[in-house]
Amino acid sequence: MNPTEDEPFYIGYQPQPPVGLRRWLRIVIVALLALAISTALLLAFTFRRLPLSVFEFGVEREYVGVIRAQPYPLLLIKRDDRLEQFWLVGSGKHAADVNAFVGQSVKLRGTLITRDGLRMLEINSSTIKRLNHASAEALPTESLGRFTFVGEIVDSKCYLGVMNPGHTKPHRECAVRCISGGVPPLFLAHDSQGQAIALQLADAQGEPLSKEVLDFVAEPIEITGEVSRQGEWLTLRANPDTYTRK
Amino acid sequence: MSLRYRAISWNPQKRRYDAVMAASSGLYLALFVGVSAFTNPNATIETLLIRAFGTAALLLLHVILLIGPLCRLQPRFLPLLYNRRHLGVTTFVMGLAHGGFALFQFHALGDTNPLVSLLISNRRFDSLANFPFQPLGFIALVILFLMAATSHDFWLKQLSPVMWKRLHMLVYAAYALLIAHVALGVLQAETNPLLAGVLAAGMIVVLTVHLLAAQREHAMDKQPFETGFVAVCALGEIPEKRARVISLNGERIAVFKHDGKLSALSNVCQHQNGPLGEGRIVDGCVTCPWHGYQYLPETGVSPPPFKERVATYRVKLIDGVVYVNPEPVGQDGILSYTPSV
Ligand code: HEM
Ligand code: FES
Repeated sequence: MNPTEDEPFYIGYQPQPPVGLRRWLRIVIVALLALAISTALLLAFTFRRLPLSVFEFGVEREYVGVIRAQPYPLLLIKRDDRLEQFWLVGSGKHAADVNAFVGQSVKLRGTLITRDGLRMLEINSSTIKRLNHASAEALPTESLGRFTFVGEIVDSKCYLGVMNPGHTKPHRECAVRCISGGVPPLFLAHDSQGQAIALQLADAQGEPLSKEVLDFVAEPIEITGEVSRQGEWLTLRANPDTYTRK
Repeated sequence: MSLRYRAISWNPQKRRYDAVMAASSGLYLALFVGVSAFTNPNATIETLLIRAFGTAALLLLHVILLIGPLCRLQPRFLPLLYNRRHLGVTTFVMGLAHGGFALFQFHALGDTNPLVSLLISNRRFDSLANFPFQPLGFIALVILFLMAATSHDFWLKQLSPVMWKRLHMLVYAAYALLIAHVALGVLQAETNPLLAGVLAAGMIVVLTVHLLAAQREHAMDKQPFETGFVAVCALGEIPEKRARVISLNGERIAVFKHDGKLSALSNVCQHQNGPLGEGRIVDGCVTCPWHGYQYLPETGVSPPPFKERVATYRVKLIDGVVYVNPEPVGQDGILSYTPSV
């Protein structure tokens, strides 16, 4: 600390650093640039590689189908004898306001969100037009029995593609906001073969869930309930007061 | 001549400092986003920007925290300290970009005010793994804001140096909050141990360098209480136009030798507590190594028009040995005793 050798003395407001410091300063500058480059590269290579999910942001297409609520709003589209099913959500972290159209044939504009074959449309309810033809399509419900799963509750909209990553701890607050706003809660779990499955959550009566599940989002949860299949989707029915943290 | 304004306004070295800072920050952000777009093609651009700004801000904060103790250990790092304020402001701006994007992405367009949502959405205060990590980042951002907003010398004067220093010591609280923000946030989802390793390595470096610097200071302050003149060193141990720093009764005193004179001043610069004894006599003035504030060695007063003043002490020279009286005299304007050598 007490000076012994004759060090150059730096004064910031002089036009130039002292001659004896210039080489050293060049080394420091190169070291700082190297720190920036190496940290950026190291981190870019160490963050987990995320799986594919799609949000066709800015791309709106027209869809024609029937609106149902099973229990969350969805659009059923008949294509070649097959029923394709899309959850319907509103913009931002909101539900789609489709109460006035449940059971009706409609034409609407929406933006596709999709992951692992599960599909969703972000729609603006004001684009929904009633069509006058009959609309008998509905998803048959098949009971599969009572099961216990351990998994994570996510909000379907972000998980299916609006955000990536759209689940786990860093996304918890966002999932809380989305589910609170009416976005359907999904439960990510594994079946008995260890295959990843996603189930939409409903209460024991099959009614939609929202604020009741907020404190269980994005952490390991065990749920025991009735599982049923509606077309491509699974629903898990249980009252949130029976959920347990793992 | 206006020394103080020379010290705090724009000048060529500050411009160079800022250019290096902007280049390395820009390079970091561009590389992080550009390379991640290939290594992590499914991550959304919002995610990449949030991560780029967050990690850049935390990296810069490490650099900021290291500069102080590195300068104590090796004065050649002092050029990094000269304009550290701009590093701090840049850290805040990048933290704001990160926090702002995150606030919009995760909390806006919902059923609750985003700032309220930030504070209430996660209520798992009873669990470490699920603990709300975002409010920790928010508090850290508020601290960084207060520091950036008061970093100008105008605020140093308004708040008084003691208050200002206290406020700016909060940077360590911000650092701790951010470590928790990352450890309880993204590290709960990212499983690659390298990420935790990088964070831990950063902490170890910051801690080690602080401990080393503190150890040196501590060794110096361990002197017993003294009254009257105290022998401090041989005259030959003080290099010309430089000082030897001693600690007497808890006060650090810098004993300068210059042009056949000796003078003893408080080691603590009135600007931001810079160590005057590690400075030089430049143009007949004691010149602080941090930002170049100057004091007349005889009186401890800054040359006009400035009014800063540091305490001075009486000095004696007997048989080539320098003695200092730890009772300050300079504060009431008495000249220090300056024996000819
Ligand atoms: C309003 C204030 C803040 C909010 C809402 C916030 C939010 C977040 C969120 C949600 C993540 C996880 C992002 C992901 O999924 O990767 C995160 C991570 C992180 N934050 Fe913050 N943060 C805030 C302030 C700060 C500040 C001030 C800093 C640093 C100066 C910071 C540094 C980081 C770092 C280094 C990470 C890990 C990298 C990453 O995942 O982005 N945060 N923050
Ligand atoms: S000049 Fe800034 S601390 Fe001395």
